[in-house]
Amino acid sequence: MIRLRTVRQDRLGRQDRLGRQGPQGRPAAGACDAHVGPELAAAYARSAGTQSAGTQSAGTQPAGTVGGTAGAPAGDAPSEAQCWSVERHVEHCTACAERVSAAVRATGAAPALARLREDVLARAAAERADPEPYSNGVAGTASSDPARSADPAPVRRLPGPGGRFARRRARIVWAAGPALRGPWLVSLVLLAAAVVCAARLTGNAAAQPLVLLVAPVLPPAGVALCYGRYADPLHEIAASTPAGGLRLLLVRTAAVLAVTVPMLALAGALLPAGSGMPGLVPVAAWLLPGLALTLGTLALGSFVGCRYAAAAIGSVWLLSVCSAARGLSARELAGALTHFLAGPAAQCGWAVAAATGAAVIVLRRTSYDFQESF
Amino acid sequence: MSTARTAPAAGPGPGRSGRPAQPGEPGEPAESGEPAEATVAATGLTVRYRRATALDGIRLRLGDGVHGLLGPNGAGKTSLIRVLATVASPTSGEIRLLGSRVTARGAEGHRARTAVRRRLGYLPQQFGYYPGFTVREFVSYVAWLKEMPGSAAADAVERAVERVGLADRIDAKVRTLSGGMVRRVGIAQAVVNDPRVLLLDEPTAGLDPEQRVQLRELLRELGRDTTVLLSTHLVEDVAAACTGVTVLDGGRVAYQGTPRELAEAGEAADGGSAADGGSAGGSAAAVAGDSPIERGYSAVLRAHRSGARPHTAGGADSPDDRAGSAR
Repeated sequence: MIRLRTVRQDRLGRQDRLGRQGPQGRPAAGACDAHVGPELAAAYARSAGTQSAGTQSAGTQPAGTVGGTAGAPAGDAPSEAQCWSVERHVEHCTACAERVSAAVRATGAAPALARLREDVLARAAAERADPEPYSNGVAGTASSDPARSADPAPVRRLPGPGGRFARRRARIVWAAGPALRGPWLVSLVLLAAAVVCAARLTGNAAAQPLVLLVAPVLPPAGVALCYGRYADPLHEIAASTPAGGLRLLLVRTAAVLAVTVPMLALAGALLPAGSGMPGLVPVAAWLLPGLALTLGTLALGSFVGCRYAAAAIGSVWLLSVCSAARGLSARELAGALTHFLAGPAAQCGWAVAAATGAAVIVLRRTSYDFQESF
Repeated sequence: MSTARTAPAAGPGPGRSGRPAQPGEPGEPAESGEPAEATVAATGLTVRYRRATALDGIRLRLGDGVHGLLGPNGAGKTSLIRVLATVASPTSGEIRLLGSRVTARGAEGHRARTAVRRRLGYLPQQFGYYPGFTVREFVSYVAWLKEMPGSAAADAVERAVERVGLADRIDAKVRTLSGGMVRRVGIAQAVVNDPRVLLLDEPTAGLDPEQRVQLRELLRELGRDTTVLLSTHLVEDVAAACTGVTVLDGGRVAYQGTPRELAEAGEAADGGSAADGGSAGGSAAAVAGDSPIERGYSAVLRAHRSGARPHTAGGADSPDDRAGSAR
C-alpha cells in the first residue's frame, strides 16, 4: 500500500513539474532526447557558472538570447528552453551528464561547487546520525523499514500525551465502533444501575434470579445493535472494506462482551443475596450460557442476519425461561436456575453448544462477506 | 465544453498497460484469458430482488479512466455499483476486479474479495456516520477498515481530506457539516487508500456548481491511473469529466461509447427527426435536451426502448457488448 502511494506521488510530482515547465519547455521538447554536444555543454556550463556566481539572474538571461537555437555558437549563452532540455536530458544520460559536469568544472564555478558539495555531504551525514527532525517527511518513502516508518508521524497527529499509546487507544475505540458509542451502552448502564438500586432499596430476593435469567440474552442483543446495515450507519462503507464481514462482526462482538460481562457480573454481585444461590453462581453462572447464545446468534446470523438471529434466539430463550419460571417463588426459581445454568451437566451442555456455534461460524466464515443478503 | 475534448487525451486509453507492477500488493490471482487492462469486467451480471429485476445480463469491461454511468431512475445504476463494490452478491453472473473473481464461491471468492477490497474505493449513494466523529476520525476509521498500516494512514487521511478541499475542516465534527461537505467527506474516505478501482454513486449530488467543477478536476486526475466509475443523473457531469459513458436502462446496457460519440448520436437523431417532422417548433417528436449530449442521451434511451439494437460506438469491446446486452 505504501509502495503504491509513493509510486503515485512520484508520478504526480513529475507531471506537476512538467506542467510548470509548460510554455518554455514545450517548444524545445523535441530536443530533450538529443545528446548534449560539447559546444552546448560549454555554453550551459558558462551560463550555470554565471548564475551560481550570482552575476546574472535567471530571469534576465533569456531576454537577451531569445534567438538562440539548438546549434547556438559557442560564444552565446543558451536560451532557457535549451537549459531545460539539457537538464532533462542529463537526468537519464550518464555520458552527457559527465560531459556537462566536466564543462562546469572547467569554469570559474568549480570552487563554489566543491564547497556546496562538501556542505551537502556534511549535512547528509548529520541527518543520518539524527533522523528525527526529518522523519515526518521521510515517513512515506521509508516503507521498507517498518520499525522506522511505524514511529514518526502520530505524535504530531494525535493530540494528548503519549502518541503511540493514544493511537492504540484510538484504534481500540474505533474497533469497538458503535458498540461503545451508541445508546446501547448508555441504556445498559442505566438499566443495570436501576435494577441494582431498586433491588437494594426494596431488598427483593427475586432480583438476583431475574437478572440471571435475562443476562445471557444481553450480549446477543448488543451484537444485533452494533452490527449490520440496520444498526451501523457505516455498514454500507464497511461492507466494501477488507475488514467488513466476519472480522468486523467478531471485533464488535468482543467489544460488546468486554462491556457486558463485567457490568453484569458486577450487578450480580451487588444485588441483595437471599434467594439461596450459592457463592459465585449469581456472578458467573450465566457466562457460558451467554457465550453460547452469542455464538449461536453469530452462527444463525450467517444464514438470516444478526438482527433476525438475535431476535429469534433471544425470544426463544426468554419465552422458554419465562414459561418455565411461571408460578415459581423466588427461592424455587433460584434453585431451578442454579441447576439449569450452573450444574455440572448444564455447564457441559452449554460448553458443547458454544463449541457448536463456533464451529458453524468457522464453516460459514465466507458467507459474512455479503451482509446485504440478510 | 473544451474539457470534454481534453479529458480523453489526459485519461489513458483502453490499451494502456504500462502500470508498474506492485510486488507489495496482496495476492492477486492472475487469471489468463482476460486482457490485463480490464480492471473491471462483468459478464452476464443479473441482480433480482423479490420480484423486480434490477440488472439483466449486463456485460461490462472497463479500464483506467473515468467512466460515467447514466440512466433514468430505477435503471440499475446503484445495483450495478453495489455488486461491483462487493457489497452485494449478484443473483447470477461473474465479476472480475483487478483480475480476481470476486463472485467466486467459498474460500476462493473470500480471498479474492479481501484482496480486492484493499484496493477499492466506494462512495455509497447514502451513508451515515457516527455522531461524535470528526472528519479526520471518520476517514481514519475507514482507513483502518481498509487495513492501511497505521504509519501511512495518518498522512493518507490528511491528503485525502485535502484533495476534496476540506483541509480547513478536518477537525470539525461531521454532523456540523453541510450536505455537500458530507458528500466530500464520503469521497475522501473512498480515495484514502489510493484505490485502484473507485466506484462513486452520485458523487455530485448535493454539491454546488463550483464544488462540482473541483470534483471533476479531481476525477480527471484520479482517472489517469485509476478505474473510476461514477453514476450520475447529470449528463453534463459525464460530458465534462468522463472518458467513457455507459447508459443503463431497465437493467440493460443501452449504450456504450465516449461522451463525444453520445453527443454525435444526439446530432444524428436531431437530423433524422428534423427530416421527418419538419420545423423545430414542432419538435415534440424530436429528442429532448438542451445540449448535444443530452439529446444523445435521450436518443439512445428512446432507441433502446423502441427495441432497436443498442448503440455501441466503435470500441474494441462493442461486438461483445452488443451480444451481452441483447441477451
